Amino acid sequence: MPLESNDPTWYKRAVFYEVLIRGFYDSSGDGTGDIRGLTHKMDYLEWLGVDCLWLLPIYESPLRDGGYDIADFLKILPEFGDLGDFVQLVDEAHNRGVRIIADLVMNHTSDAHPWFQASREDPEGPFGDFYVWSDTDQLYPDARIIFVDTEKSNWSWDPVRQQYYWHRFFSHQPDLNYANPAVQDAMIEVLRFWLDLGIDGFRLDAVPYLYEEDGTNCENLKPTHAYLKRVRREVDEMYADRVLLAEANQWPADVVEYFGDDDECQMAFHFPLMPRIFMAARRETRYPITEILASTPDIPPNCQWGIFLRNHDELTLEMVTDEERDYMYSEYAKDSRMKANIGIRRRLAPLLDNSRDLLELFNTLLLSLPGSPVIYYGDEIGMGDNIYLGDRDGVRTPMQWSGDRNAGFSTADPQRLYLPVLLDAVYGYQAVNVDAEMRSPTSMLHWTKRMIDVRKQHPVFGIGSFEDLGGSNPSVFGFLRQYGDDIVVCVSNLSRFAQFTELDLSRFEGCTPVELLGGVHFPRIGELPYLLTLAPHGSFWFQVRQEYS
Amino acid sequence: MTLTGLDDALPGWLPGQRWYAGKGRPLRRTRSFVAATLRGDDPQLHLVLVDCEYSSGPIDRYQLPLGLRRELPDNLQYAAIGPVECDGESYRAYDALHDAELTGVLLDQIEAGRTIGPVSFSSTQSLVHRPGRLLGGEQSNSSVVFGDDHILKVFRKITPPGLNPDLEVTRALAAVGSTVIAPPQGWYEYVTPDFSATLGLLQPFLRGGTDGWGLAITSVRDLLHDLTQQADEAGGDFAPEAHRLGGVTAAMHADLRAALPTRSTADAAQRAMSDQMVERLHVAAAAVPDLRPHVPELAAAYSDVAELTAPVGLQRIHGDYHLGQVLRTDHGWVVLDFEGEPARSLDERRAVMSPLRDVAGMLRSFDYAARHHLMDVTSPSERLRESAEQWATRNRTAFCDGYAEHSGSDPREQAVLLRAYQLDKAVYEVVYEARNRPAWITIPLGSIQRLVEK
Repeated sequence: MPLESNDPTWYKRAVFYEVLIRGFYDSSGDGTGDIRGLTHKMDYLEWLGVDCLWLLPIYESPLRDGGYDIADFLKILPEFGDLGDFVQLVDEAHNRGVRIIADLVMNHTSDAHPWFQASREDPEGPFGDFYVWSDTDQLYPDARIIFVDTEKSNWSWDPVRQQYYWHRFFSHQPDLNYANPAVQDAMIEVLRFWLDLGIDGFRLDAVPYLYEEDGTNCENLKPTHAYLKRVRREVDEMYADRVLLAEANQWPADVVEYFGDDDECQMAFHFPLMPRIFMAARRETRYPITEILASTPDIPPNCQWGIFLRNHDELTLEMVTDEERDYMYSEYAKDSRMKANIGIRRRLAPLLDNSRDLLELFNTLLLSLPGSPVIYYGDEIGMGDNIYLGDRDGVRTPMQWSGDRNAGFSTADPQRLYLPVLLDAVYGYQAVNVDAEMRSPTSMLHWTKRMIDVRKQHPVFGIGSFEDLGGSNPSVFGFLRQYGDDIVVCVSNLSRFAQFTELDLSRFEGCTPVELLGGVHFPRIGELPYLLTLAPHGSFWFQVRQEYS
Repeated sequence: MTLTGLDDALPGWLPGQRWYAGKGRPLRRTRSFVAATLRGDDPQLHLVLVDCEYSSGPIDRYQLPLGLRRELPDNLQYAAIGPVECDGESYRAYDALHDAELTGVLLDQIEAGRTIGPVSFSSTQSLVHRPGRLLGGEQSNSSVVFGDDHILKVFRKITPPGLNPDLEVTRALAAVGSTVIAPPQGWYEYVTPDFSATLGLLQPFLRGGTDGWGLAITSVRDLLHDLTQQADEAGGDFAPEAHRLGGVTAAMHADLRAALPTRSTADAAQRAMSDQMVERLHVAAAAVPDLRPHVPELAAAYSDVAELTAPVGLQRIHGDYHLGQVLRTDHGWVVLDFEGEPARSLDERRAVMSPLRDVAGMLRSFDYAARHHLMDVTSPSERLRESAEQWATRNRTAFCDGYAEHSGSDPREQAVLLRAYQLDKAVYEVVYEARNRPAWITIPLGSIQRLVEK
């Protein structure tokens, strides 16, 4: 059932929650999380206050790339459940006012996909032209190799068809040939299949690479945008209140192309912001953040950035300069095991040495900077990671529900779990779990829920304009969010020392700032700069309203 | 229009202003006059010039934008100067820069580019009219910020007369397209046959900027908090900023060479430079006994300058270059305030000099930033001192590297001259600290010790 709300820009005010179905809750006792398990935990997610779940890939897959290698777009991975389970999940979520979007890979499929099998067996058949085949591996030489650690070329030889096929990612993930109209239509059919089941939108994985063109780097090409506009048009014509979220790991100035003229994707991730927040806290100055925001272009009125502190992938450092990358490595990746490709695989709490002050500072920024925040499952309780697990699995361990066996995640034998639960003294499930944090009013979980509540009471955080307030102290980051008369001033101390700042709030002369968490009325704003003192890593959110004066 | 009574009130008000430079000299009387009336209706705005006569020495002349109101509202009481009469009517006189209504008039005049009597206004572009607010904390001038768009620097003391180098240099730099300054958007001047002076300079307001000093001590604070870390691995490392600042400094010097006169030293010039430094040294040593043990080594370092044979490139420079004169914005470093050292004469401030003097000034500033925190510690440990020294060395090096990369010429290659300029500056600092902050004298004295040892 679609969620009937007639709220076409809901995503601008939403708090997103990224869920790994495999790792959330196991309803069947086979050691792997499943869709029914997620449905079972909908009450928790509703209580937490999240508005939209983002599901990592749920499709049939040989799982050689975490499910991003899709073997059938129209089938659920059997260990997760079936389409009936999925429809039930959507209904239960919608009953609680929670929406669901899912990852969808448009650029490529698994080599196990029937389309690819048909294409290699029968070049003249209906799927013969579904992939990018060539007699030579010398085409498109300007396209970079993304997975430099494992792939030597973007072309691989297929002994069956006796031709090379094109792949921007792993060699077992052949790229679809979007120059073929049949592929364009087939993918739109895939989208419609899921939209008909009531899904609220898609996170479109790896969108910059859909088309190839000689003499280019094969990224962000015009036909790619034209196709995405067509997708948007067809979705809008048939369905209400759906969202397309582009994953384009590029500089903001390039990413804005994916918003089009409000006629392409409604959302895109702001990738460089996240490492800049880490850097600002380490440097104890606001400039790493204010610089990147100052160089972020305006976006169309109905579009929104997706912002995050951590996700299922590594801490992406592609978007920082060499100097900053070296610096991030030296600070956050003291152990070489944590390095992979060019990122760092850690959860938020271990990245911040489990400092509650810093966790609150980072989440305060996440919930107040321009964009819709995305919370990674488990970060709301301050979960840790296991860097000794391979690839990206270190941050994909089971959700820690309680101090019971398997962290309350599954009733299977512990040996059967898809990944072991965390056991260490600091982040292990005995210490960090939902059940225990529910009982403790000062827990990270209750703090997070409280902050989400406050954010949702003030839509200005989602839809308001952003203005850097500057101020006399470079360690203090003050900014203004404004939507009409709804005005919120946010001030954070990026330093581990107590600080003060003087903010120019003279335009609000005579108003009283009211602190949003406790409703405390602060001294009235006068003509002179407004003096604020802040505890180490402390923050304030103030509402500034004329009627209080 | 006749204004009476102001000179009765000014002697009680003027010495209380931060920008008043006559402290320590008995003020005998003031003689003020209206140079131009910018608004005749209540509230009135007059540009008043005030001559201060002391019991001895030359007259100082100040600019005072004067507001007159029949009734002074509560929120302007703190700016009150006193009661006056204007054309026989009673008014309350006050400092007009506190009154947004009147600073708006000033902005209007600048944009209109009018000439009113001896005062002429100019602008280079159309302006955004938002309410002005007076910034606090400034020493020698007053600045009014209009919205987020403009900042108007009102020069207070306008003697000695002449074109203010801040306007002269920023205009010239803007004309060659310099990107490291805030270009002038307008200005106003007082011009008569026997006395001319720049009264005000309007520039873009760089919102969100903080000065280099604030940023540098944030980094020092981070390093000194954890003495187990080395300067090059500290999270708050400033070296990348110092490196970029070096590049911006080199760009500023290149722009100054393109925009304003340059010259090469003649043979005797090095000797003259050396002699001047020695002379300043003797004056300083006479005043500050702590300096005397260093005199022979200092004099030797200066005499090395006299031995230099290669000509030294001379050009206009910033003249008072330190971390407090550079602003970190979201788009990089911007250099502010080309007035030069206020204590020097206008001719000296406008003379060509070696750009190494600016480099030396910034290197001294890194020393100060590094050791500033030690002044708050009653008994700093040896390790704390080492860390501070490490910070200073690392950032001085990064600054010179950045300068060398941008300009192609490494200031450290002119070691004799660079050292002499740093010592000359440190000697000046010793005198300043002895008079103002005796506890801080260890900073420049320690630097002198280190520099002469090399």
